Amino acid sequence: MSTTQRILPKGVSAASFDAALAKFREILGTDNVFVENEQLAPYTKIMMAGNDADYIPSAALLPTEADQVQAIVAVCNQYKVPIWTISTGKNLGYGSAAPGETGQVILDMHRMNRILDVDPEVCTALIEPGVTYQQLYDYIKEKGYKLWLDPPAPSAIAGPVGNTLDRGVGYTPYGEHFMFQCGMEVVLANGEMVRTGMGGIEKSSSWQVFKWGYGPYIDGLFTQSNYGIVTKMGLWLMPEPPAYRPFLIQYQDPADIEEIVDVLRPLRISQIIPNAVVIVHTLWDAGTHVTRKKYYSGTDSIPREAIERIKEGEGIGEWNVYAALYGTPEQIEVNWKIVEQAFGASGKAKIMYGDEAEQRGGSFDYRAALMKGDMNLQEFGLYNWRGGGGSMWFAPVSQAKGSETKDQTDLAQQILDKYGFDYVAEYIVGWRDMHHVIDLLYNREDSEETQRAHDCFAELIDEFAKRGYGLYRTNTEFMEQVAGTFGEPLRNVHTTLKNALDPNGILSPGKSGIRQ
Amino acid sequence: MHNTTIEKSTLGQRLAALSLAALSTVLATATLAADRAREPAEVYRQVCAHCHNLDKAVGPQITMPFPEAAWEARGDYIHTTVREGRAAMPSLRNAKISDTELEGLIDALLRGELADTAAGKE
Repeated sequence: MSTTQRILPKGVSAASFDAALAKFREILGTDNVFVENEQLAPYTKIMMAGNDADYIPSAALLPTEADQVQAIVAVCNQYKVPIWTISTGKNLGYGSAAPGETGQVILDMHRMNRILDVDPEVCTALIEPGVTYQQLYDYIKEKGYKLWLDPPAPSAIAGPVGNTLDRGVGYTPYGEHFMFQCGMEVVLANGEMVRTGMGGIEKSSSWQVFKWGYGPYIDGLFTQSNYGIVTKMGLWLMPEPPAYRPFLIQYQDPADIEEIVDVLRPLRISQIIPNAVVIVHTLWDAGTHVTRKKYYSGTDSIPREAIERIKEGEGIGEWNVYAALYGTPEQIEVNWKIVEQAFGASGKAKIMYGDEAEQRGGSFDYRAALMKGDMNLQEFGLYNWRGGGGSMWFAPVSQAKGSETKDQTDLAQQILDKYGFDYVAEYIVGWRDMHHVIDLLYNREDSEETQRAHDCFAELIDEFAKRGYGLYRTNTEFMEQVAGTFGEPLRNVHTTLKNALDPNGILSPGKSGIRQ
Repeated sequence: MHNTTIEKSTLGQRLAALSLAALSTVLATATLAADRAREPAEVYRQVCAHCHNLDKAVGPQITMPFPEAAWEARGDYIHTTVREGRAAMPSLRNAKISDTELEGLIDALLRGELADTAAGKE
């Protein structure tokens, strides 16, 4: 390969990059420094509507030890080489394993994949960034521990560290992942290693059980950020309950979303229903196992009459609520009566569990698996809905209030319809908030459609922000735009922290819109 | 969409090379942190089965045996698809499935050795 054909990090000369690569090889060994095209190909696949050319790495580094990460950071500072850190790299639709921008060096943490501790008494784990949910799941089963995980929909192939650091969510009572994180080990940009919470106390036994430690609590600084590289993370695991009852509630009218949310809110806040409930729209529920062309062949936004045919043909509702009860059989019977009374009051809801729910159609089996922490990738069926490999998750936050939900649904459908895309959406209900998750599915092999998806996503961000709705997370193509919706004062704080912690700007430049 | 300052010709060559390079079946030594390469059935269970098992049908069936005459072409196709991804299929890099593991997986798939696993018979 001639020098002129090389992709280099921004502002780094070929000679400096060669010198840095030589040092990376000294640290990691030649086999763990990737520069060849066939080695880097897996780091270039994206699903978002960006140009492929904007997301090509110049190299990839694969450490296995935290002290190697410290040494890498020292070299990066010396040569001003920017690195983009990934763990399992399965943040699909958010950027996958690709760099934030062309030329960055990927720091691939997947080979740091040790499960350092699982404590079945206090129900905690301490793991490295490369550990997958499947790996931890297998380990727990092998040991015979009665502990549950809380995977997001990509479950098996994703991992707890990366998902938690991007503030992802799952579907059990431990669904808000950062809430159930406890203790980190972080390599800072200056090469120092810090342990958060109680981890600063040598031989502390409480690193994974007490989150706050002493003084300012800093774990949040290392989520959705570029202030450090997390090399170990603690998390809490849910003890397997004596009994579990997943259930399904179907509503048939689009306007019913208001009633669903207003009935659900007190049940969630009071923890009668303790898990991260989902309220799934027809097209998401169908899309996990049906392709669009079965019901509609047009390229515009799918019309109402087709949605009604899907509901009829697949036995699913306009809104499909998947939730679960956990506890002793007696507790579940008590809480089930409360749920039945609450949702049964208006006469609109079809409430079911067990065989009736399983036979109803839709996605009950895989939802029941996710709500008990089992590994399941059925949700990837959404990628077949329209085909072509394009997917972007638009995920504004709302209050758990019916009026607000209706406002967001109407606005999203209006903008998606304008650009010819489908409202493939669900609401994930936290305690008082909801993540309104819309999968903007498009054919990435069609350049016109890809540009249209890009424009649609940009308009969604702006129009939602105008009404006071911000995103909880976004993909690398739109991080700058989303950061802008949160205002300059907050951005100035982020920049001040960046300059203090990473003065050379070597760690994941552009993550969440944060740069020097 | 934001732009970079890379020359177009350079980008085109890199992208073309990425596509062609993955057709190569040159396999390097496994370098996973794990102390052993996983058996093909274990790789299939941990990574592939969740989408490709017959009862999942998120991805196409991939475990039917292929005629020996087509092994090279089919093997190259699987290799390219695993490493680069394809539409809904994510790319799976060396750190997730090592080159040695991928070589074993492809061999087992071509021979139909994982067909019973995919059908839930094992």
